[in-house]
Amino acid sequence: MVSLLEMPETASPITMNEPAPRPNAPVERASIEIEHLDFAYGSHQVLHDVTLDIPPRAVTAFIGPSGCGKTTLLRCLNRMNDLVDGARITRGAIRIEGIDINQPGVDVVDLRRRVGMVFQKSNPFPKSIYDNVAYGLRIAGISRRTLIDEAVERSLRSAALWDEVKDRMHVSGYGLSGGQQQRLCIARALAVEPEIVLMDEPCSALDPIATAKVEELIRQLKTRYTIVIVTHNMQQAGRCSDRTAFFYLGKLIEVDDTTKIFSNPGQRQTEEYITGRFG
Amino acid sequence: MTEQKHILATFDEALGSLRNSVLMMSSLTERSLERAIAGLFQRDDEACAIAIADDEEIDQFEKQVDHDGIDLLLRFQPVASDLRRVVSAMKLSSNLERMADQATNIARRARKLNQHPALPEVELIRPMYAHAMAMFKDAIDAYVRSDVDQARSVVPRDEALDELNRMAGRRLTERMAEDPAQLRGYLNLIFVSRCLERVGDHATNMAEDAVYAVAAEDIRHQQSAAGVRPR
Repeated sequence: MVSLLEMPETASPITMNEPAPRPNAPVERASIEIEHLDFAYGSHQVLHDVTLDIPPRAVTAFIGPSGCGKTTLLRCLNRMNDLVDGARITRGAIRIEGIDINQPGVDVVDLRRRVGMVFQKSNPFPKSIYDNVAYGLRIAGISRRTLIDEAVERSLRSAALWDEVKDRMHVSGYGLSGGQQQRLCIARALAVEPEIVLMDEPCSALDPIATAKVEELIRQLKTRYTIVIVTHNMQQAGRCSDRTAFFYLGKLIEVDDTTKIFSNPGQRQTEEYITGRFG
Repeated sequence: MTEQKHILATFDEALGSLRNSVLMMSSLTERSLERAIAGLFQRDDEACAIAIADDEEIDQFEKQVDHDGIDLLLRFQPVASDLRRVVSAMKLSSNLERMADQATNIARRARKLNQHPALPEVELIRPMYAHAMAMFKDAIDAYVRSDVDQARSVVPRDEALDELNRMAGRRLTERMAEDPAQLRGYLNLIFVSRCLERVGDHATNMAEDAVYAVAAEDIRHQQSAAGVRPR
């Protein structure tokens, strides 16, 4: 296996078209570049020619109606779809820091360490709070207790959970509230020091207070991480994200600064969706 | 502007109701200005009294529009063109209320003027009134029809109204020196002239709000930003 960081940039086996024109306002420097991406589950194509740059150290929100392909695209970014039978990219490429992540030889475990993910429903392991956060480090082969202790505290602090759990690190993660469990999952993702954090509707099961805490956490995290969030909550996309991408029927309709999208979108379909005049 | 219906019919109803309140306010304001000016030109104290009384109803409409606008923002959190429609309706309402205040001021000055012999210099007011009302009607028409070009065309017309106001002021000041016995009358006409100049300012604001509502473009203060003397 070759680490993603060690992959030569010129080794892409995927035949690429000419560089895609960037839809709408381009970003200055992309952390993730998605070019002409087609994706299918078996014979059912769900993403069509998606070209999108995702800037570093900023929050990019994917919005769109159910079935528009936003979660599928999110899961492409750390190859989570590899686990789905028949799911495959049929054209195009995804590059992270210039490296095509779908090249043969890319270490998927290393990719998923660098591109962490937080899911719609919090999914702590049936372990203690400490062991939940330490899990990824141990998998990565780190065994020194002091290193793990430091990483666990750092991650819990980054996830704004440390003060709430520092005196009960060895109780089960299941004993936490829904909002705390979700922040525990964020801490678990941060423990392995990713560069990118993917969030798939991270607040959909949380009450407004827990949602506000996660949103504030996202705001703090974006100074250190590239964040991509899928959300059905328009207000959340407006509050949390710097850029917003609107998808419909597997196509990227529009991407721009969030303020622009929610004040004066360029495309009629975007306007109709965000104002509730859809379908 | 988006024409398709909102999934929530209550939202479209609330937005429609807000717009109707603004249009009703606009009609009342126009009528109030017409009555105030009739009171001046026709020396009709009753018209002046009605214009002054109209103000109360317009004030209530302003409060209603504010209440309904805030209610809409709270309940539906509108975005994009919907948000602009709510914000512009509330701003239009504020300008209409202040315009109606000018109608009241004109009516009060007219009542004072009517207590004395007619001054021929009242004719200086006529072109100003015609110009200000044309600006007002065009601004409202542009808002109603979402016509950005018409709204834009209103803005530069304010300069001509300002010039008419300056000319009237100069002429009336001269007359004050020539005929000090009528000083109060000339002073009242200067105030009426200023009121109409303010009506033009509010019409300009409304035209700018109409542009914002339709095109999401803020065209306010562009002359002053470019170094041109502000209004």
